Amino acid sequence: MMNTADTRVPVTVLTGFLGSGKTTLLNRILTENHGKKIAVIENEFGEVGIDNDLVIGAEEEIFEMNNGCICCTVRGDLIRILGHLMKRRDKFDYIMIETTGMADPGPVAQTFYVDDDMQQKLHLDAIVTLVDAKHIWEHIDDSDEAKEQVAFADVILLNKIDLVAPEDLEKLEARIKSMNSMAKIYRSRDAVVEMEKILDVGGFNLDRALDIDPKFMEPEYPFEWSGIYQLNSGTCEWAMGEGPDPSMGAALLPLANTGLAAKEATLMDAVLTFSEDEQELEPGETMRLGKGQFNQLILNDAGETVFNFTIQAPGYYMLFTEHHPDEFEARLRGAESFIDPLETREYKPDHEHDEEVTSVGITIAGDLQLEKINGWLSQLLRVQGQDIFRMKGVLSVRGWDERYVFQAVHMLFDGRPDRPWGKELRHNKMIFIGRNLDRAALESGFRECLAS
Amino acid sequence: MMQRKRKFKPAQPTLNAKWRTNIDDHPIGLAWSPDGKNLAVAGVSGPITLFNGEDGAVQHKLPGHALDTMAISWRKDSRLLASVGQDGKVRLWDVETGRQQCEMDGGASWVERVACSPRDDMLVSAAGRKLRLWNSSGDLIREYPDANSTITDIKWRRDGRQFAISAYNGVVLYDPSEAEPLRRFEWQGSTLTLEWSRDGKYIATGDQDSTVHFWITDTGKDLQMWGYETKVLELAWSFNSRYLATGGGTQVVIWDCSGKGPAKTRPIMLEGHQRLIKHLKFQRKGMLLASGGNDGLLAIWKVKKNKPSLLVDATFKAPIAGLAWSPDDRCIAVADESGTLSIAAVKR
Repeated sequence: MMNTADTRVPVTVLTGFLGSGKTTLLNRILTENHGKKIAVIENEFGEVGIDNDLVIGAEEEIFEMNNGCICCTVRGDLIRILGHLMKRRDKFDYIMIETTGMADPGPVAQTFYVDDDMQQKLHLDAIVTLVDAKHIWEHIDDSDEAKEQVAFADVILLNKIDLVAPEDLEKLEARIKSMNSMAKIYRSRDAVVEMEKILDVGGFNLDRALDIDPKFMEPEYPFEWSGIYQLNSGTCEWAMGEGPDPSMGAALLPLANTGLAAKEATLMDAVLTFSEDEQELEPGETMRLGKGQFNQLILNDAGETVFNFTIQAPGYYMLFTEHHPDEFEARLRGAESFIDPLETREYKPDHEHDEEVTSVGITIAGDLQLEKINGWLSQLLRVQGQDIFRMKGVLSVRGWDERYVFQAVHMLFDGRPDRPWGKELRHNKMIFIGRNLDRAALESGFRECLAS
Repeated sequence: MMQRKRKFKPAQPTLNAKWRTNIDDHPIGLAWSPDGKNLAVAGVSGPITLFNGEDGAVQHKLPGHALDTMAISWRKDSRLLASVGQDGKVRLWDVETGRQQCEMDGGASWVERVACSPRDDMLVSAAGRKLRLWNSSGDLIREYPDANSTITDIKWRRDGRQFAISAYNGVVLYDPSEAEPLRRFEWQGSTLTLEWSRDGKYIATGDQDSTVHFWITDTGKDLQMWGYETKVLELAWSFNSRYLATGGGTQVVIWDCSGKGPAKTRPIMLEGHQRLIKHLKFQRKGMLLASGGNDGLLAIWKVKKNKPSLLVDATFKAPIAGLAWSPDDRCIAVADESGTLSIAAVKR
């Protein structure tokens, strides 16, 4: 079928706690000269016409739908109101839905995927979440709604930045990124933001499924550093000075070669190794090598601490450390001299172990086997669909010339092949945002789907 | 000549247009007066046009509701038309003069449903969770306690001694002379529409979760029919209460309720629509079924157990927005979303 221009009306969902500035932003949108005719659906009020625009009040009505193995919650009031609105002759160019401060954005988003009339005439453009930069700290730790609003967002507006210190703002932004690495984050005061940043964003558009800053895609690892060493047989010493911590986790793994695929495989092994029980090593003890051997190096109270290990098979090895070696002035010593790594890599620290809502980004090279990835995804959504708020990805499937792009809201999955890979390196990228996500399990599950 | 060879074939049924017009609005309600003299057509932007059913002459153009009309219903004697809309009002119109006779508060900003009794001068309105019973002088007879969720439909039993409402969680049955509901048919799902069988034995509902429910009104037992492509908003019973025609997809699915009922039977399937079916109407006393879809197709089917057939069809330029058989079953009124209104007789 030929691609025809999408004539469906875009819908933006505006979420945020009471006082975050939603009303201010809505008023701005309604009064700004953007040439659009906008209908706003908000809570409580009746129906008011404002110049060209229209404001309709809605009473949130959530119900559960159970369709075979897919269950989801949707907003019945929106189906009715939007269904009726789309019959009008005076067509609107844009629809904004404001949710109550305590609303879970999930049902609103899912409503656009379960109803044919809605799908035919409307398309969900994005979820925009306003965050009160000063008062969000009162909710973010214990309010599920606040977490969900951040997690679901395509765009997050940190509002009222004039009321907080710059360092607190940095802290907040880092925290929000750890929960939702997919969203674009902007800062504002009095909800002043350029309209193109919040309208026609394409957050649910498959063509832009992974059109996100690759550095946000960088997954979080339980280690901060790795170095590749070429080692001969014999004994080596890992010498550490005093550092900020009394101990440090480390793993030393063999590396088949210095190619990308081999490095990724070893990286994956390291992630799994760091999830094993740690083995405490007193100063001077011997480090254990290989997959599953997670060493916890205990340092002397003062001065240098040395650990040793013996290499039997000469070749490449990759050392992973919980902290950057520079923080401890740590170096590897061979029989005669210091050995410097051929190559090092730093990883984004995984400081948010305790965060309930997180994003997990996974990138792996290679082709996937269709049956395996299908099976894995459907199993995953069946079991964890309630906890996976959003998911996006671009996949390279064996035997397919085109990229496969997809996105999902809870269990509602939307995917299709898009453009050919062409000269681009075939790879797989996936991002999950949700509650209690197990990065290691997701990554190994995903990796299992590679065509062998 | 070619025609001569066809001489022995039975004549093909045809649809003969009686009159045609355009209301320049998206029609949301199409209703013949019970005496068949007038056809009322409500447009989504508010106005309601009263046409002479015979020739299409405009009798009156009623202002309707300032903010969108939602539904219309005729009083039994054809002299009053009730309408509800997004101005929060229930309005009663004198058909003779075209003047508003009464105006009542529906109880919430959107009054979505209204149904006049087939027995006397009572009518029921629904606005959100508010359910109100009126007489046609505009007096509030009763306000019921709020429903659990927005009321999606109201239908009277044919004898007017009971009416049923649907909402999320199923169906509630009322006797208009009593304040308490007679019975609740509960179902964990969003019920969108309901239809009584003529004999009152069954209430069928269409649901958002792509299912159809049958409630046996005597026992409260229910049957669930699933496998629909989409939500089911289209339900039509045949006059003999034997067949329930349902939409919820591109095929008309007809359940045979004779004998032991539709449980574990294969439905009759009618194929012909390219896109979703949006309207289904059975004749009042005959076995012709009209279907209208998003593909603009109007199809008239003869429903039989073993040999259902498509009698005649016609294509409109926009999705079908409403269907209504005239009370004498001779004509069908069809409207499409562009506002085209066509009244045609089925000639066999």
